[in-house]
Parts: sequence; C-alpha cells; structure tokens
Amino acid sequence: MKPLEQDASEFHRKARVLIVEDEALIAYTLEELLVEFGFEIAGVAGRLEVALDMIAMAVCDVAILDANLAGVSSAPAAAALTKLGTPFVVVSGYSAAQQQDLAFGDAPRLQKPCDIERLVESLRAVLTHHRASLLQ
Amino acid sequence: MTESMCPDSGMEALVIENSRLNMRLLEAEETLRAIRSDEVDALVVQSAFGPKLYTLQGLDAETLRFRGDMLAQVSDALIAVGSEDRIIYLNAAAEKLYGFTQSEALGRPLDQIYGLQWPRPGDEEKAMTSLQELGEWRGESLHIRRDHVTLNIESSITILRDEKGIPSGRLEVIRDITERKRHEHKVLISEVRYRRLFETAHDGILIIDPATRQIIDANPFMTQMLGYSHDQLVGKELFEIGLLRDEEASQQMVSELKRSGQVRYENLPLERKGGGRQDVEVVANLYEENDRSVIQCNIRDISERRRSEEHVEMLMAEVNHRAKNLLAVVQAVAYQTAKQGDPATLVTRLSERINGLSVGQDLLVKNQWYGVDVADLVTAQLAHFKDLIGTRVVLAGPAVRLTAEAAQAIGMALHELATNAAKYGALSSQIGLVTIGWHLTSGDGARFEMQWTETGGPLVTVPTRKGFGHSVIGRLVDAAVQGKTEIKFEPKGVSWRLQAPVGNAVNLVGSKE
Repeated sequence: MKPLEQDASEFHRKARVLIVEDEALIAYTLEELLVEFGFEIAGVAGRLEVALDMIAMAVCDVAILDANLAGVSSAPAAAALTKLGTPFVVVSGYSAAQQQDLAFGDAPRLQKPCDIERLVESLRAVLTHHRASLLQ
Repeated sequence: MTESMCPDSGMEALVIENSRLNMRLLEAEETLRAIRSDEVDALVVQSAFGPKLYTLQGLDAETLRFRGDMLAQVSDALIAVGSEDRIIYLNAAAEKLYGFTQSEALGRPLDQIYGLQWPRPGDEEKAMTSLQELGEWRGESLHIRRDHVTLNIESSITILRDEKGIPSGRLEVIRDITERKRHEHKVLISEVRYRRLFETAHDGILIIDPATRQIIDANPFMTQMLGYSHDQLVGKELFEIGLLRDEEASQQMVSELKRSGQVRYENLPLERKGGGRQDVEVVANLYEENDRSVIQCNIRDISERRRSEEHVEMLMAEVNHRAKNLLAVVQAVAYQTAKQGDPATLVTRLSERINGLSVGQDLLVKNQWYGVDVADLVTAQLAHFKDLIGTRVVLAGPAVRLTAEAAQAIGMALHELATNAAKYGALSSQIGLVTIGWHLTSGDGARFEMQWTETGGPLVTVPTRKGFGHSVIGRLVDAAVQGKTEIKFEPKGVSWRLQAPVGNAVNLVGSKE
C-alpha cells in the first residue's frame, strides 16, 4: 500500500482525524501511523468531556471512537458526531454483542487489537460514503 | 314357621306345630331351671364393646360344650379369670396368642400368662375406675408374653358376676394390634419426617388438586416468598398468584402433567403480594396418593443464581475487554519498539517492555483493579535492581494508591527510566544513586507529584534523538494522567518530574491515606 500517493490523488486535502482513545500509548501510536497513511491529526481525546469539546469545535472530518473511555461509554460522543454528520468508526475491546449502544448506529466496528490497514480502510470507506452522500 | 292354609292337612300341621311349641316351651323352662340352678354358666352377647359374657357358674358337660363351641369361634383371644385372678377359661385364639395350652393355663394366675403394662401413666387408674363404676373397660395396654415379647393389645374387660350380682371374675376379649401399631408408628415417623422436610425446605412447595387446580397446601417458605399467608394461598389457582399467565395456561399445565407426569419452567416471574417480582424455576410433578392424584410444585428462587450468572457474564466481558485492550497496548509497544533502535536488540527490548506491562498487571490483579500502591509499583518495575533498593536506589513517599490507568503509564515510565539508568545513567556505574520520591500536595488543586533523580553516575549528555522511551516518560504519562512531565539531562544526572491532578492519578477510594 502506498498511502501517501493514493491519498493525494483521491483528496484535495488531507482528511483530519479525531482520535478518541483513553489508552495514551495506543493514541500516540495511532497518531504516528495515521500520519504515515496521509491523514492529519485533528486532536486526541482520552476522556469523554475532552472529546465532546473537540467535536463541538468541528475540526475533524472523521473520528475514531474507542467505545469505552476509562469505564465511561463514548456513546454521547457518537451521538454528537452523528448530529454534526461527521462519520466515525468504533474501536473496542468489547465483542460486537457487548457494544449494543444505539448511538453507535451502523458505524463500522473494529475489534481491539486492530490492524492499522483495516482501520485506515474503514476510515476511507466512511469518508468516501460521506462525501458521496454530500454530492447527492 | 308356616301357617297352614289347607283345611284337610290343616289338622296335621296344627298337631306338628303344637308339638314344636311344646318343645320350645320345655326348652325354655329347662333353661330357666338351669339358670336358677346355676347350670348355665355363660351367655355370650354381642355388644358395642365386642362379645360380652354374662354369668359363669356351674360347668355341666352340655353348657361347657355349648360355651366352648361359641367362644372357640371368636377370633379374638378370650381369657376369663375367677377368684384370685386364676384362669378359668381361655379360647383357642388365646392359647395361640400366649403360647399356653388350655390345660397348662387353667388355674394359673393371670400374671403368669402375661405381664401387664400401661402405655401412658394414668391409664391403669382409668381402667380400674371404669371397671369399678361401669363394670367394663376398653382400651390399649401392653402384654408381655413369657417369651418376653411385648404385644400391643386392645382389649375389652367385663366384670363377671354371680347370680347375686357379686363380682366373681373378669372376662377379657383381647386383640393383638402389634402389627397395626408398628405400621402406625412407621407412618407417623414418615409423616413427621416429610412434614419436617416440607416445613423447613428452602424451596417453595405447593400441593395442588389436579381436579380443581386449586392449592391445597403451601409450605412456610412459599408463603414467605409470596408474602401471602397460608390461608390466603389455599384455594387459589396458580394464575391467581401470578405464577402462570392465565387460566388457560393453568389448564395446559395440568393436562401436560396428566400426559407426562412432570412439567418444568426454567424461568417464571413470580408476582409477590404487593406487586414485586421474583424469578423462579418451577418443577411440577403429578403423584398418585392412595387413590387420588396430587400435583406437587417445587418453586425455587433463582434470583441469586441469576445475579451470580450475570456477575460472571459481566466479569467475562470485562476480562475480555481488558485482555483486548492490553493486546492493543502490546501491539503499539511492538510497533514503537520496532520502529526505533537497533534491529538486533529488538526482541530483547520488546520482551523487556512486555515484562514491564505484565508486572503492572500482576499488581492490579492483586488489588482487584483498585489501583496500585506507588512503592509496590516502583519495587516491581525495578525488580532487576532489588538488591540496590535501600542503598543505591532510595524510595521515599507516603502510601498512595494510583489508579489502574495511572499505574500502567507511570509503571511503563519507571521501566524506561530504569532501563536508561542501567544503560547510560546512575545504575550503569558502581556508585551512582537513584532517588525516587512522591507525595501529595493538599489544598486547592491538590496534586500528585513524583520525582526520579539520578546522581553520581557518568557524565550525562543530552541525547540527540528522542526515542520511544522519551515519549513514554513524557507525553504518554501526561496524556494518561492529564499531567505535566519535565525531563532534564543535566551533566550530574537525569531527572524526571511528574505533576498531576490528584483525581486523575490517585485512587482516592482505595487510598490508605
């Protein structure tokens, strides 16, 4: 995969990703990897309140949501993103049956630990779908 | 007796009838004479108390035979005693019961035939009073045979009187009820035992009449479970106590029971009096009880079991979540470790970092995830240098319990600091010193503060490249506890300092402070 070239050809500008992840090391690693794959980091939030503030400022095109933030569900963040029409993917250590919160809607759900390439694919898929829906 | 209708043969019939009547008259006169002259010794009359014998005087051959025939027929044992309680008569049944022949027994005192005992105190007195006042007694007693076997006896005793009405002896009609008593006793024991089971069971038990589908009995546990009294339950149908949906469901249960003998409901919501609900398991069985059938329903409160099942499910989910999260952390560590540093030492460096994570996990599990004591965390992460702790590695701080998240981040930082110190810093020489201190500040904006200070090691130079280790002790700790770290590469040694809001780093509930 050649993320940089592909990304540059597909989009006029880099997509800005908000990382909502309470595990600092994972967030840090995601940042590095996503930059390598041609994304721009809009911000990193380890707690729900911080995430909600960042979403309210509408600085991102897409978000990665950890379903559980230090024992707190990130469903309110999902609801806020949905309200703004910002697409997102959900990442969680819980099995699919465990993350049944309706707020996550039909967003793609990935299991931790997840492969970075699958995560990037999902981010691109929701972004493409979102852009397509805006053009209609 | 035929009445003649034909006038021709009428006379002849009349003559025959007349002679019969004469004979009977003679017999009657003879009987009267015999009674008067004491020739009839006994007259046995059936009474409500069993056979009774009146008078017993004179023993001519004829009456003896007559009496013997009659009394021998009686299946109950009969014993008559005269003066001084000596046996004057016993029938075949009595011979058999006591193991004496008539010839052996006659003339013997009664107490040689059997020893008499009374089941309850006061029984003897009652019997004596009854005999004196009414001339008869009926009741239970114990007869001890000469072979020492004790018999349960139901007997009827009548006082025999002479022609002047003076008591001259007693007749006892004896029935051996030992078998019956034994059986009654068994039934009683069984009844007591099963009643006790019923009364003390920790399952609710309902007994239901299949014909009416109504409750006929309920044990105390059942009444407690439902909040109804026993009287309120009796007469109700199952749907009336919310155990089954409606009358139709109740009918279905009974027909299913009649078909298969057992019905089982794994999980029914039981409605308590007043509206509360309780999850129960119901097992109903149809039993034949003598000649009628009954339904026994065992109702078990499964709320405790469900709670524990839910708890286990919750724990499993949590374990799954934590394991996956940790694997994601390991994945990130692997990525970061692989990205920097010498490929030749990759496996060693990765395995050291994973060990560091593992040590932190042990501490968390030990404290049931209620955080980790700082001193324990430092000691565990510096396990390689445990011989130096107290001499060249000095720990100083109060008992403070870190949250699980803070413990993981600070633990990883301590691991990186120790690795660096061992390679380049104070622990790489024979004399360097590491001081690790922590404390809580009080008042507004209370903070958790921690310092790692190295002295006495080789001269320190500022690294040209900031690797993964640098991120771990810096921005990763900052992010985990929303704190601020400061790293200084001074020539005399490395120093690291962390300041974090108390609420983000310290488990205040679990803290010993």
